[in-house]
Amino acid sequence: MAILINQKTKVLLQGITGKMGGLHTKYMLDYGVDLVAGISPGKGGSKVGTVPVYNTVPEALEHTPIDATLILVPPYAAKECAIEAIESGIKLVVIISEFVPIQDTAYVKQLAIERGVRIVGPNTIGVISPGKTKVGIMPGSIYSPGPVGVVARSGTLTHDIGATLTEMGIGQTTCVGIGGDPIRGMDFIDVLKEFAADEEKKVVVMVGEIGGTGEELAAKYLETGYPKPVIAFIAGQTAPAGKRMGHAGAIISAGSGSAASKYAALAKAGVTTTKTFSEMIVAVREVLATEEAPERQLLGRGQAAGN
Amino acid sequence: MRLFEYEGREIFVRYGIRVSAGVLVRSVEEALKAVETLGYPVVVKAQVLTGGRGKAGGVQVAANPAELIGHTGRILGLVIQGEKTESVLLSEKIEITQELYAGVTFDPQNGLPVLMFSTSGGMDIEAVAHTTPEKVLTLHLPPTQPVRGFRIVDFLRGSGLQSDLLPKVSQVLQKLIEAFYGSDATTAEINPLVITPQGELVAIDSKMVIDDSALARQHIVPRFEAGTPLESRARTGGLNYVQLEGNIAVLGSGAGLAMATMDLISHYGAKPACFLDTGGGISSEKMAEALRICLATPGVKGVLVNAFGGINNCEWMGRGIANVIDADKPTTKILVKMRGHSQDEGWKLLEDRNIPIVKFGTTEEAVQQIVELVCPNTRNDGACQGTQGKGA
Repeated sequence: MAILINQKTKVLLQGITGKMGGLHTKYMLDYGVDLVAGISPGKGGSKVGTVPVYNTVPEALEHTPIDATLILVPPYAAKECAIEAIESGIKLVVIISEFVPIQDTAYVKQLAIERGVRIVGPNTIGVISPGKTKVGIMPGSIYSPGPVGVVARSGTLTHDIGATLTEMGIGQTTCVGIGGDPIRGMDFIDVLKEFAADEEKKVVVMVGEIGGTGEELAAKYLETGYPKPVIAFIAGQTAPAGKRMGHAGAIISAGSGSAASKYAALAKAGVTTTKTFSEMIVAVREVLATEEAPERQLLGRGQAAGN
Repeated sequence: MRLFEYEGREIFVRYGIRVSAGVLVRSVEEALKAVETLGYPVVVKAQVLTGGRGKAGGVQVAANPAELIGHTGRILGLVIQGEKTESVLLSEKIEITQELYAGVTFDPQNGLPVLMFSTSGGMDIEAVAHTTPEKVLTLHLPPTQPVRGFRIVDFLRGSGLQSDLLPKVSQVLQKLIEAFYGSDATTAEINPLVITPQGELVAIDSKMVIDDSALARQHIVPRFEAGTPLESRARTGGLNYVQLEGNIAVLGSGAGLAMATMDLISHYGAKPACFLDTGGGISSEKMAEALRICLATPGVKGVLVNAFGGINNCEWMGRGIANVIDADKPTTKILVKMRGHSQDEGWKLLEDRNIPIVKFGTTEEAVQQIVELVCPNTRNDGACQGTQGKGA
């Protein structure tokens, strides 16, 4: 069992006729995603590859059920696309677009809460349940199926953790990139709650970075008792204070948001904190060894499963 | 992007918030001319983006021309927390019976805009909130719902303000909320908002931060903070670059990945010379510029490219690297770890040029390899620091 998405998930792509839309239509179909439709106002009736294009989300819904949507449009168009998806009743909305204004995200986040919809992103790579499906732009081949859940702020770091676990023969149930912006849909806590209920999952790897309070809030939640072991890595341990490190959310302000303060909060909550990837792998292996899970997959080095 | 006080005041005026009369000047001559309309006494305020200008002597009252000349001359050029004062705002001196604080910002805990109000205005509001949190009232504003006037009045009942002031203050708060939304602000603050002896409300300072991602639709020209020449060049090229003092340049295809790579470089005994995050949607030209900036970084002995083809594409990135190799023939060690979409095409371009590649290995292995390339004996003697790398 994976969280959020599985092989049955019917996926929509909003922005399918853009350059990125076309490219990722191919990548998703190659991965076996059930990509049922794409949206591009004014281009309804056409096709991208084998995927039918509709003008609006309601029009697409006349032809097919849709469980999740991937929004791959310019940043100022993302809000309207997300509202269209939410108001049409789609329950999982993944916003890939980078540089979405914070007020647009805040509006969409609130609307989603009111309508019982989950938002992932913006500024994310999306979600992948390796070997099953993906609603995202990640290269599927670097992930592999298995017992580890991954939740991370940074997109490329999610790739790197996924690839490292795969290289070491450790697969993943679901990897969620929550996005690098200061305000985002699902935060660490929301994903951790999903993982808690997933019986297939044996261990959660949480990948934070400097700036913001998401990791600290997650630590407070974990302190109250959590059913799975959690292993954390924080990026930006050597980042200088006051400098914005790429992501809008990644800046150490006076006295807060540093890797050290996040590690301290997580350690207090009983999380295994690791400073390097190899420490993280050792910790994951230790947990899996004690879990004695018969169904877990231990692949040989370099033998990436999935695609 | 932080706005100067005078820029924030312009926004307040646009939304109907009364501000003290003021004129921006850049020289003593301009100040003497401006005071002809403003009259004495006049407040001379340094226009800087950093805080703490009051403590640094950046705010003075001038009662006559001699004081105006003295204060303006001294404040222009005054360095406040590393920032040189380039302009001053002259503003009318308002008589004050009470100082209030009003602000709207985002609550990072739930992503909602939050209205804040305190009758302890004029002070460092963060200190007030820290020591006496009961003195700062907060009201979350769900952006999907209209802000009703009665809600604001109701919110203000707990502030200790007299009833006759509630409607007036409420109106200012509503205008501030409109200004916050209308200008794509992440913070809009009036501190202090003062009550005059005539019972009028006047904003005599502003603190506004506009969302960087919204500058284009607000028609605001981005103003970059001062940086090194390479940092400015990177910004022009749409790259996130922070110059550091070390020997191995980190060129990552994402911020988190680049930061983690930096951390590992320090862990394995070397020091990062820079942090460069290409961001998504990179072209071969942008990749080439990113690599050239890394190669130009002072002290650099090696470059580690750590990239994924997710939203990016390995062929485009590989072509950018290949173009730099062909055109510039750099002698600095370059190691590329790159995987993802179109990886075979990308690798081929690099293999044709004998660039070492980490194809399936981990970031940690790539870091160990570049450290070994730059300082061949690091694993034996430990340190590969600063510019003393032996392998260069």
